[in-house]
Amino acid sequence: MTAPTTSTNPPLVCWSCHERFLGTHFCSSCGKLQQIPQSLDYFSIFGLPKKLWIEMDGLEKKFLQLSWKLHPDNFVNASETERELSLKQSSELNDAYRVLRDPIARVEYLLGIENMRKEGEHKQQAPPELLEEVFELNESLDELREAKSSGGDLAVLKARLEIAETNFQTKLSEVDAQLQGTAREWDAAIDASADDSARKKIMARLNEHLNRRAYIRNLVTNVQKELS
Amino acid sequence: MGRTVGIDLGTTNSLVAYLDPQTNQPKCIPGPYGSTLCPSVVSLDPDGSIVVGEAARKRLLTQPDRTIYSVKRLMGRGPADVQSELKLFPFRIDPANKNVIRVMLGDKIFTPPEISAFILRELRQWAEAHFGESVDRAVITVPAYFNDAQRQATKDAGKIAGIEVLRLVNEPTAAALAYGLHEKQRGRVAVYDLGGGTFDISVLKLISTAEGDIYQVLSTNGDTHLGGDDIDNRLLAHLQQDILDLRRFDITWQPELMQELRKAFIAVKHELSEGNEAILRLPLPKGADYTTTFTRAAFEGWIRPIIDRTMGPVKQALADAQLKPAEIEEVVLVGGTTRTPLVRRMVEEFFGRKPHTELNPDEVVALGAAVQANILERGVSNMLLLDVTPLSLGIETYGGAVAKIIPRNSTIPASAQELYTTGVDNQTGIDIHVLQGERELAKDCRSLARFTLKVPPAPAGLTRIEVKFLIDANGILQVAAKDMRTGEQHSIEVQPSYGINDSEIERMLEESIEYAEQDFAERQVIEARTEAESILVATAKALANPQSAGLAADERATIDAGVAALRQSVAGSDYKLIRKRIDDLNHATEHLAEVLMNSAVQSALEGRKLAEV
Repeated sequence: MTAPTTSTNPPLVCWSCHERFLGTHFCSSCGKLQQIPQSLDYFSIFGLPKKLWIEMDGLEKKFLQLSWKLHPDNFVNASETERELSLKQSSELNDAYRVLRDPIARVEYLLGIENMRKEGEHKQQAPPELLEEVFELNESLDELREAKSSGGDLAVLKARLEIAETNFQTKLSEVDAQLQGTAREWDAAIDASADDSARKKIMARLNEHLNRRAYIRNLVTNVQKELS
Repeated sequence: MGRTVGIDLGTTNSLVAYLDPQTNQPKCIPGPYGSTLCPSVVSLDPDGSIVVGEAARKRLLTQPDRTIYSVKRLMGRGPADVQSELKLFPFRIDPANKNVIRVMLGDKIFTPPEISAFILRELRQWAEAHFGESVDRAVITVPAYFNDAQRQATKDAGKIAGIEVLRLVNEPTAAALAYGLHEKQRGRVAVYDLGGGTFDISVLKLISTAEGDIYQVLSTNGDTHLGGDDIDNRLLAHLQQDILDLRRFDITWQPELMQELRKAFIAVKHELSEGNEAILRLPLPKGADYTTTFTRAAFEGWIRPIIDRTMGPVKQALADAQLKPAEIEEVVLVGGTTRTPLVRRMVEEFFGRKPHTELNPDEVVALGAAVQANILERGVSNMLLLDVTPLSLGIETYGGAVAKIIPRNSTIPASAQELYTTGVDNQTGIDIHVLQGERELAKDCRSLARFTLKVPPAPAGLTRIEVKFLIDANGILQVAAKDMRTGEQHSIEVQPSYGINDSEIERMLEESIEYAEQDFAERQVIEARTEAESILVATAKALANPQSAGLAADERATIDAGVAALRQSVAGSDYKLIRKRIDDLNHATEHLAEVLMNSAVQSALEGRKLAEV
């Protein structure tokens, strides 16, 4: 075990009273709202490690606590500097909460800040193992569209598509389960202070799951649109 | 600094309210006619002055071409947006202007924010007369489903009226705030707000924390062109046709008769909120009146399709909040149109619980605005509103598609960054098109702004610009750009697509001062003088009455002195002194008034006795 690393960032100085301060949002000397350092990611805003499992009640509680302090309503009569800081920081808080609250957006965000988010080069291309089913699905969709425009019998086609939809919904839950499993691996790797290459391997897998998920989701949405 | 008030700038009526410090409860301020409702009607008098409210509403019948109502429907919209409205509303749009809506009152031309500013000024005067102090800041409410341009137009109206708009608050959120304070509600609340011209549904969570109560909006939805007006228009079109069929009389091009019919129909609508049957009678020229009877059942048959249109947004809002109807703990009804029994029934059926109607549905939004005004005025509070943006914000990408960068129902303020880079060598600009809406194609969304980022000529891909889109706490977009290579920052003037810029607002502000504005003290002097004149006339008349001959000499002397003192003060411009002398004279003539009153009553009684004999 190594000793905890100390921050190499220069000490933060308050814009108002010019004292050094600790903490993230407010000056510990004069209490004025501060500029958030560029490096503060969404996890850090909430004082969380970069892990993918987040306890939602705790997240909400922290969100509400910070909202009380940062919301522009508190700064209507303050200086323009403070009004702008409040706008910036409360919007970042809201953005952070929106992303971290959503388990999928959370994974995307993590990969984004780690420069590991790579959308499939051919977004429209089916993953190989799904090719056959996707082909069948597209055929059914075409038939349905045709039947709609020519006034043909829709019931049989719709029933077939409904089965396909259920099938892909199941696949979606499977991907979600895989994503969850890999997310747990990620959290374990963080806890174990795993090295860079191990982390990158996990992130590459998370990225694959995300792409696969996006592809299947898109299919489901298309089917639902045609069925409604 | 003057007072801060809350203003509900409504389609049909507008109100102004404040928080009474004694009771810590919000209160609406009545106007000169005693009502707290100021009809949102503006009329241009032939002498060039502006008339607002009840007086203007009367002119809808006598001077329809100089008078405008429901101007809120035009706020933040372009001429192309309102074609369907024009069939139903007698707006006279200046045809010379293709990009911006300008309405004509008589021979003068105004933008919708200018018209709204006249209403804001009127409400400010009500408040100033009430407080005896100037009012310079306000919280103004807007429909939750208002887009950026409609919000911007409302803020502009405030500026033109010379009022600092501290915040635009969504109407259903304001209502929730008023109810929260009143009922001490907690938990998940749905606010169903059907007004004259707009429909909103908001789902909120009311949370108690150590610091105080938080009103967190989870989702909102609505239709900015659905309201009581639509009910009126549907029925009016039917009645018009019926009059044509039965009486062979076409009233379409007779604005006076149309207004008369509208008035008669609105009375019927109100009657049917209580009773089961109402009769509509319209006197037609050349004798024959038109008379028809409405049963509540028939009336509900007519309006059901309109009320049905509110249910789509209600379901969407619940889906977005990830809640089922049964998970909503309280339902609140807001807006005059929710007095309609059918609306109440349908809402109750959908949620499976009786909606709250304890607070006056016409006043509740203004009351909430007053609560928020007080919170902002004090700067510290034990209440916090967390509202959301009703529509997704997007940017146009290749092929006319829209990339959503801030999803609808995001808590505001909210922001998103996009990185742009040049595609060809020595490119000097990057075009950005910002849109609002849920559709996938740019042409189906509302265009908020189009602008070109200027970039220094450089090899393709070298220049990288980070553009930050920020929706502020009013729901209004701000854009800033940063050159990632040089670190240079630019804030971008987002020109709303309906296009009134700051210098135009400045000009409108100056012009509107010419129309109506006298400063507060000046108005007070004029009002005090008018009152003094009427008291002097009344006193002179009383003294001329034979009954006052018997006044004691010292009483008479006091009154004469009071009259002289008041006359003297009226010559000056100290309104406080005038008011004091008015009070003094009133006091001095109290006994005289009593004597005259008694003798008048006596002679009236005697007269009756004589007549009875």
